Amino acid sequence: MKSLDSIISECRANAYDLNFSRAREWKEEEEGRVLVGYMPIYFPREIIHAAGAMPVGIFGGGDDKQIIKGDAYYQSYICHIPRSIIEIALDKHLDHVDGFIFPSICDVIRNLSGIFKQQKIGKFVKYMDFPQNFLPEIGGVFYQQEMSHVLKYIKEINGKDVTTEALNHSIELYNRNRQLIETIYNVRQDFPWRLTIDEVYCIVRAGTVIPVEEHNELLEQVCTHISEDIGDPQDKIKVVVSGAFCEQPASGLIKAIEEAGCYVVDDDYMLGSRMILGDIDASTSHPLQAISTAYIKQSQYSSSIYDVHDPKENRLAKIVKDRGADGVIFAAASFCDPSLLDAPIFQNAFDKMGIRYIAFQYSENINQYKVIKEQVGAFSDSIKLWEDEPAIPAIEDKIK
Amino acid sequence: MSNPIYTMGIDVGGSYVKCALMSYDDATGNHSMVDKQTEKIRKKDPKDVVVDTIDMVLERNGLNYESDIAYLASTGEGEMVEKKTGHFYSMTTHSRGGKFFAPDAKTVVDMGGLYVRAIKVDPRGKVIDYKMTGQCASGSGQFIENISRYLGLAVEEVGPLSLEADNPEVPSGICAVLAETDVINLVSKGLSTANIVKGINLSIAARVVKLLGSLRAESPIALVGGMGMNTGMIQAIEELADERKKSNLEFVSHPDSIYSGAVGAALWGGYRYYKLKEKEAAVVS
Repeated sequence: MKSLDSIISECRANAYDLNFSRAREWKEEEEGRVLVGYMPIYFPREIIHAAGAMPVGIFGGGDDKQIIKGDAYYQSYICHIPRSIIEIALDKHLDHVDGFIFPSICDVIRNLSGIFKQQKIGKFVKYMDFPQNFLPEIGGVFYQQEMSHVLKYIKEINGKDVTTEALNHSIELYNRNRQLIETIYNVRQDFPWRLTIDEVYCIVRAGTVIPVEEHNELLEQVCTHISEDIGDPQDKIKVVVSGAFCEQPASGLIKAIEEAGCYVVDDDYMLGSRMILGDIDASTSHPLQAISTAYIKQSQYSSSIYDVHDPKENRLAKIVKDRGADGVIFAAASFCDPSLLDAPIFQNAFDKMGIRYIAFQYSENINQYKVIKEQVGAFSDSIKLWEDEPAIPAIEDKIK
Repeated sequence: MSNPIYTMGIDVGGSYVKCALMSYDDATGNHSMVDKQTEKIRKKDPKDVVVDTIDMVLERNGLNYESDIAYLASTGEGEMVEKKTGHFYSMTTHSRGGKFFAPDAKTVVDMGGLYVRAIKVDPRGKVIDYKMTGQCASGSGQFIENISRYLGLAVEEVGPLSLEADNPEVPSGICAVLAETDVINLVSKGLSTANIVKGINLSIAARVVKLLGSLRAESPIALVGGMGMNTGMIQAIEELADERKKSNLEFVSHPDSIYSGAVGAALWGGYRYYKLKEKEAAVVS
C-alpha cells in the first residue's frame, strides 16, 4: 500500500495536470482508445467507460494558466472558466482528446460548445441537455436519448457497440467510486483533521482525469489510511462550502478557508463526482434507464437543476444539519449566474432558519486570499466566541 | 475556586513573531502575563522562528507544551504555527489584547507592520465596528522600519528621537515610494534626523486620526501593535487630534503593546478551553 503522502502528491499532480498526461498515456497504451472530455458540472461517465473510452474532466486552467487568447472570446462580464478552457484548447493541451461534452449549466458553457465547433476542436462536440422535467416517462426518456446520442458519437470513432453487460460493469465501478468518496467525507465529518479539504479535493479531482479502476484503488487506500487515528485535532468551526461547483477555486483558496479557522465538512467543489446519491442499479437489462432514473430520483441538488418540488435551500440546510456544521460559506465564482442567482434564495431561507453564513466571490486565477481569509477568520471567531450573536459586517465594506 | 491555567498566544506578523505566555484564571477573571518574547523573522523561515520562540519561552519557564499549555492560539499568519490548538483572526485578538492593556478602552487601534485598524469594542472585547487602511505601505510600521534603516537608526530609536523634534517636515507624498524619495530630499536639505522621523510619524498619525474620525471613535482609545510602542507616534497622534479639535479623545498606550495580538489570542484560548470543556461535559452527561 502506498503512503498517504505519496497518494496525495500523485493525485495533486494529476488533478492540476493541464496536459492530462495520464489520460494521454492510457490512450497510447492500446490502439483505438478514445478520450472524451467533459466540462462541469455533471456527466454520466459510466456510459463513456462502457463504450471503451475514458472520460476526462476539464475544469479550467486554475491559477496555472495565463489567459491571452481566451479573453478575445468572452466579454469582461463573463466568468473565467470558459476563457481558460479555450486557452488550454488553443494551446493544444487537448489535442489528444477526441470529443467534448458540454453539459447544460448556463449560456456561457453553451456558447463555449459553439466556439469549440467553430474552431473545429475534437472529432465531436456535444452540448448535452439534461432533463428539467422530472417525470421518468418524459424527462427520463429524453435523457436516455441524449446519452444514446453521445454513444453514437463514440461509436463513430471506435466502432464499438455498447453492451448491457459493459454498461452494468461501468455502473458498478462508478458506484464504488462514489461510495469510497462518500466514505472519505463521512470520516472527515467526525475527524476532519485526518485529511485536509485541499487533500480531499486533489484526491477527488484526480479521479476525473485517470482511469476509474486506478482511482478506486487509490480511494480504497485513502480510506484505509484515514480509518487510523492520524493527525491532531484543532479548535475550528465546521462549515459547508456551497456555490463553487463549476469554476474551481485555486488550491490556495481551498486551503485558506481551513487555515482561517474552519473545517470544511462538505462542499460542492467536485459536485459531478458526487452528483448521484447512493448506487445506480447495476443489475437491470436497461442500464441507460437505470442511469436516467438515478439522475431523476437520486441526484444531489444543483444550481443547474430546476426541481421546484424539492427546494434546494432545504436540501442544503439538511446537509448542514447532517454534517453537524456550524455555518455555510457561499463561495461563488465572479459572474457565475447560476451560483449568484441561487445565493439570495439560500440566504433568505437561512436567515429564517437561523443558519449562519458568509458569502464571497472568487475567480479561478486569483492567488491573493488575504481579504477572504480575514472574512472567514471573522466568521469563525464570531461562532467560536459569540455563538448567540450576529456576525460582524462583511470586511469588503470596511476597507477604506 | 481559583485554578489558573497556562495559555500561549503566537502572533505571526510580517516582520516579527510575538509570543505571550499567560496565566488564565477563569474563576476570578484575573489573568496575567507570565512571559513574552519577540523574534524578528528577517530572512529565516517563519515556521522555524515560531518553533524557536515557543521553545524559548517554555524552556525559560520550565514548562512542557503537552502537559502544561492548556491552549496554544495563533493569530496573524496562523498557518506558520503548526503546533497549535486553535487560530483567531487578528482583529479579534488585538481587540481582546487592547482591553487587557487598557480595560476601560472603548476603541482599540492596532498599528501593525502592514496596516492600521481602528476597532470599536464592547466591554467584553467584542468587535462592534472597525475601519482600516488599505494595503498601502506608507501607513504602516514597515514604512517606519524602512525609513529608520535608511537613516541608520534602530527602530526603537525612532520614538524617543521623534520627541526631540522642533521643526518637523511632513513628507508630501502619500505613497511610500514617493515619501521615501522625499526623505532623501529632506536629508540632503540638511533637516535633522529628529525632524525627519517626527514628520514620518505625523504622516502616519494623520491617517490614524482620520480613521478614528470616520469610526466616530469613543475614548479611551488603546494604541496597540508594534507602532503603539513608538512614543513619538503617540505624541504625533495626540498633537494631531488636538489640532483637529478632537482634544476630547483620550489615548492610552502600554510598553507591551506589541504583544496585544499574542495576549488576545492567549486569552481567547483560555476562554475556548473552558467552553470546550463545558461542551464535552454536556455531551458526556
